[in-house]
Amino acid sequence: MMIIMRLGASKEEVKNVVARVKSFDLDAHLSDGSERTVIGVVGDGRPVDKNLFIRLPGVDNILPISKPYKLASREFYPADSLVPIGEHKVGNGSKVIIAGPCAVESREQLMETAKAVKAAGAHALRGGAFKPRTSPYSFQGMGEDGLKLLAEARDLTGLPIVTEIISPELVPLVASYADVLQIGARNMQNYSLLKAAGLTDRTILLKRGMSATISDFLMAAEYILSKGNQNVILCERGIRTFETATRNTTDINAIPVLKSLTHLPVMLDPSHSTGDWRFVASLARSGIAAGADGLIIEVHPDPSNALSDGAQSLKPQRFATLVEDVNAIAEVLKERNIVPVPIQ
Amino acid sequence: MMIIMKATATKEEVENVHQRIKDLELQPHQISGAERNVIGVVGDGRPVEVTAFIRLPGVASVIPISKPYKLASREFFPENTLIPIGDNHVVGNGTPTIIGGPCAVESREQILEIAQSVKEAGAHALRGGAFKPRTSPYSFQGMGEDGLKLLAEARDLTGLPIVTEVTAPELVPLVADYAEVLQIGARNMQNYALLKAVGETQRTILLKRGMSATISDLLMAAEYILAKGNQNVILCERGIRTFETATRNTTDINAIPVLQAHTHLPVILDPSHSTGHWEYVSALARSGIAAGADGIVVEVHPNPALALSDGAQSLKPKRFKRLVKQVNAISNALKAEDISTNPLQ
Repeated sequence: MMIIMRLGASKEEVKNVVARVKSFDLDAHLSDGSERTVIGVVGDGRPVDKNLFIRLPGVDNILPISKPYKLASREFYPADSLVPIGEHKVGNGSKVIIAGPCAVESREQLMETAKAVKAAGAHALRGGAFKPRTSPYSFQGMGEDGLKLLAEARDLTGLPIVTEIISPELVPLVASYADVLQIGARNMQNYSLLKAAGLTDRTILLKRGMSATISDFLMAAEYILSKGNQNVILCERGIRTFETATRNTTDINAIPVLKSLTHLPVMLDPSHSTGDWRFVASLARSGIAAGADGLIIEVHPDPSNALSDGAQSLKPQRFATLVEDVNAIAEVLKERNIVPVPIQ
Repeated sequence: MMIIMKATATKEEVENVHQRIKDLELQPHQISGAERNVIGVVGDGRPVEVTAFIRLPGVASVIPISKPYKLASREFFPENTLIPIGDNHVVGNGTPTIIGGPCAVESREQILEIAQSVKEAGAHALRGGAFKPRTSPYSFQGMGEDGLKLLAEARDLTGLPIVTEVTAPELVPLVADYAEVLQIGARNMQNYALLKAVGETQRTILLKRGMSATISDLLMAAEYILAKGNQNVILCERGIRTFETATRNTTDINAIPVLQAHTHLPVILDPSHSTGHWEYVSALARSGIAAGADGIVVEVHPNPALALSDGAQSLKPKRFKRLVKQVNAISNALKAEDISTNPLQ
């Protein structure tokens, strides 16, 4: 990191900072500018906390140089990680599509949707049994009964199951039914949940928090990785901005940015990132064109009567068209050998 | 619009609101709920201001129902509008329009070299700033009229029409003398004097979204130009300001299909400003076209390391050429699958 001294910081103050740096077995590199002094802190790669220096007399500002995440970083693992969802591998240009209802509502609804998304070409089935709803009065999910229905849908279709975990004590239960544990946007910084997910061997689908920066997002992944679970898939799902025309603002930049910063696979959720079924197909295409490794899409046989997220859910037929369109874009990328992020 | 009365509003207050509505030659439609009254205001399509009712006693809130823009709206003009750039190119006909060139005109050699290379790569128009709105007053402010002359020379050399920014109303006639397309930059999206001034020309206007403008704000800015009689407006998403700092701006890719749904005007994407990093420009260009954009405007520089502005986000000509091929391939895939740019079709 770089420690920027105040204009007019005294020699003693500079000396004091240098001594503090050395006291942590780090090296200090001084550069005296015409106006102010900058002290470079050189270490051995261990993370250094800027709080160690920020309150010392004469210090104006501290600029971190190294990234705060390590296991998630492409600098440490340059090749693309391939993360399993059932028999499929996500990453390195895979175009894996997860689809299904926002929530498991009934046996008929789930089996019908599972068969339809399978027929349309989906690789995995999503469906929430434990739902983190903004309002405590909204439908909270079917709980373990929902998990049983998801397992039944897997038996019926062969599709692996992606479902959300919302608290650490539920992790063993959900992991006994599901192939992929989803951590939703609201829980991206629920650190006890991240640690619990990190102690399982299930694939984790980690969604970006609605006001999380890309760096925050990678730090959340780092929590899971640091507990020993290397199977993490990142998912952009829109962030909160001033724009109200859509439910969220899709940070499409995050796709190539993440692909350059991390070896982990990156997916897009065009349903939550727009909140409006009319725009889901456009966004799905744009995500794949930007280099996403896959998509997660809400599908419901009867969106008007869905218990949650009806506005953004696609009917099965429209989902089938979307899959064809997305495959056409994926084909172009493959033919032209287009990588998500070019190198100089 | 809907006028929501407070739960505690009296009968007199409700009647008073009714009277006010009738005074404005509009019709009130009362909906009496268990807890509160809602009064619908029914008119003849003329815009009604929220402020006409918001301060009346007993009123809790006023919710507009109609869109505040009209000429820009697809409800009024359902078909895509085709907008000319020069004599030989139209935007909005299903083939992506590619505008390439430097952020700023820096020298004769620079602009002529770039013009030839973007032409060769397949661009339909040349961009380049002569009057630059820079964040810092100490940064390079552009070559002014000398830059316009160089742009005209580049047009003579390559045949590419010129897209350049106009930053003040008094400069409009001068810039319109040299350029086919007048660009209104993000910082000037709500410079209403400038919007009116370009609305009085017959030049095509490339209107960029302000960095903290909503989609509705952008369409209202377009409405200013249309209302003055100039129907040739192209909208451009170029990223908005959010909490994310990994990129210069956050590309609001949602805006592409949302705008295509709400307006008949063509919509293009600027992947250079919306990311701020050359590494991400191609991915964003592809994603914009895949989302249904009618074109892209991309910054290209022969030597980005030494560019006087926007070097970090400028592509070298060779990479730009590859980008054009990728974008055209995506567009062909959309055509083959019969995918419309309008998500409602």
